[in-house]
Amino acid sequence: MGYLNNQVVTIDAILTKKGRELLAKGDGTFRITQFALSDDEIDYTMYNPNHPSGSAYYGEAIENMPLLEAFPDETQIMKYKLATLPRGTAKMPIISLGLESVVLKQTAATQITPQTLNYLDNNRTSEPSGYVFTISDVRLMSSFTATGINTDSVASLNGGDVPPGFRRTESGKLIPDPTTSANSVTTNGTNVSRTVIGTTLSLRATGVNTLFGSQTALYATLNVIGRDSGARIQVPVIVNKTTT
Amino acid sequence: MGFKRFDPEDLVISNDAVTATVWSNNNPTLTAFYTSSVQVVSSNAEYYYDVYQTASSDDTAAVQFSVAYCDAQGSGSTFYNALVTGSSPTRTNYGQYRTLILGDENASFVFGNQSSSYFYVINVERARYKESLLPGTMTLYISGSGGRQVLTDDSNLGNAAVFTDAGRRYNLVSGSAGTIYTGNNTNGWTANSGSYGWFLPDVGLILLSGEALDGAYASAGGVTLNTTRSFDSASFNQGKIIDGFNAAGDSSFGFTLNSKETLSSDFVFVRARNSEFNYSENPAFISGSTGEVLFNSFIDDPKTYITTVGLYNDNSELLAVAKLSRPLQKDFTKELLVRVKLDF
Repeated sequence: MGYLNNQVVTIDAILTKKGRELLAKGDGTFRITQFALSDDEIDYTMYNPNHPSGSAYYGEAIENMPLLEAFPDETQIMKYKLATLPRGTAKMPIISLGLESVVLKQTAATQITPQTLNYLDNNRTSEPSGYVFTISDVRLMSSFTATGINTDSVASLNGGDVPPGFRRTESGKLIPDPTTSANSVTTNGTNVSRTVIGTTLSLRATGVNTLFGSQTALYATLNVIGRDSGARIQVPVIVNKTTT
Repeated sequence: MGFKRFDPEDLVISNDAVTATVWSNNNPTLTAFYTSSVQVVSSNAEYYYDVYQTASSDDTAAVQFSVAYCDAQGSGSTFYNALVTGSSPTRTNYGQYRTLILGDENASFVFGNQSSSYFYVINVERARYKESLLPGTMTLYISGSGGRQVLTDDSNLGNAAVFTDAGRRYNLVSGSAGTIYTGNNTNGWTANSGSYGWFLPDVGLILLSGEALDGAYASAGGVTLNTTRSFDSASFNQGKIIDGFNAAGDSSFGFTLNSKETLSSDFVFVRARNSEFNYSENPAFISGSTGEVLFNSFIDDPKTYITTVGLYNDNSELLAVAKLSRPLQKDFTKELLVRVKLDF
């Protein structure tokens, strides 16, 4: 008989760029309420269900690999989330945007309506709780909004039709609220991500020329995560400079 | 679902005290005391001298503490204006520390049981002591023409600290690392000048009584520091006491002092039940473009490997992230408990 290891695994966390931004904002949005797990860096083709030594060794090549340190770019970590699905799931949910990349000219606009495959019944294509849209550099967009989900928390995140300094009551009435004034803080300076939630994303490319410098195009990434399925897709965003 | 909400008991805030050495490079004892030739001829030299751990021209030189001389009558420095007797930098210093510590312009400093009209102040650099000095860790050797004395604070006596406008206050006494030497008198004080000064841990200040240090070693327990108290004359007494630190002896002596800091940490307990997080959106977990899992065995007995924990707000914005040192396997027979530490 031996002792069971009752030690809890303890790990140190670092703040992401978004975490530091929200902490500096001080408007109450830096509040940890939920978590997700991911298997970034894992190559499941290294899992060997035919290992000659038996099932205890199937994951040998994965379990002993050293992992990289965490990096603070919230758009480049936690890429592949683990999902909670019923046992017996044969196909994983997949998000389809209908495009491989988002290419826009300056000031041009477009809309994206994701669909989730292998998760919903035949009569539905959009997840009931919507999608989390995150662009890695919001400076590329003069407008980045989502619609289709109308809960209070989502409306607060998206900005919606609630002007700064006001909040909407449960009955839908707008009333002054000095505590929400801080939410209208605009982040200036270097690139930061922006997240909105909805079923349809509307985005309009920036018209500001100074961001381009000597380049003819600006690049960012757009992450879309299904709030129900946990499925994720990332596509590049390219804004081409319009010559005048 | 990819996200799981925390229960209230999953989030814990912990405050832990951390002690450390005060001086650069984690040196427990500062044995050499350097001043800057630029600063000692500058306009603020009559107020204080900065003390470095190495030559100030060295790339690694950093201010460890400053020393100021304070005099109730304004002696030891030149008058601001010859027509206003006694108004000088040393008197300004005295008033500054009197306001800070005593909070009363009519009060006077009483070290032990003796009133003092002039003293030296060691002002430890804030970045060095972080939050507060740690009582009971100080050992300071100082020499004068009359001998050598070693000083510490009396926090180990068991008496409650006296509270001033600058927080806790202990007496400076003869002894080392909080252990009092009672050869001079039972309290470790001088014979005729009271204690050697005050130790104020909450503001990083150490006051050294001029009267006590100027006393003779044999009869009073002083070191004969020879403070110059001439009026309208720049005596730079703060330089004398720094010389007294340097003259105290070899590398086994010097100035030993520790700091204390309270670190606040968020502990977040991440719990994954056996039925949760057993499938992955990792492209390598999926075979082909239609979403089939990579191995048929993964349909009923999926295996995932956790490498990263992400902490989110209500808006699903990633606030903090933690990596495991190696992948942890998860399946329908395993549960996971990870404690994530977030320091502020």
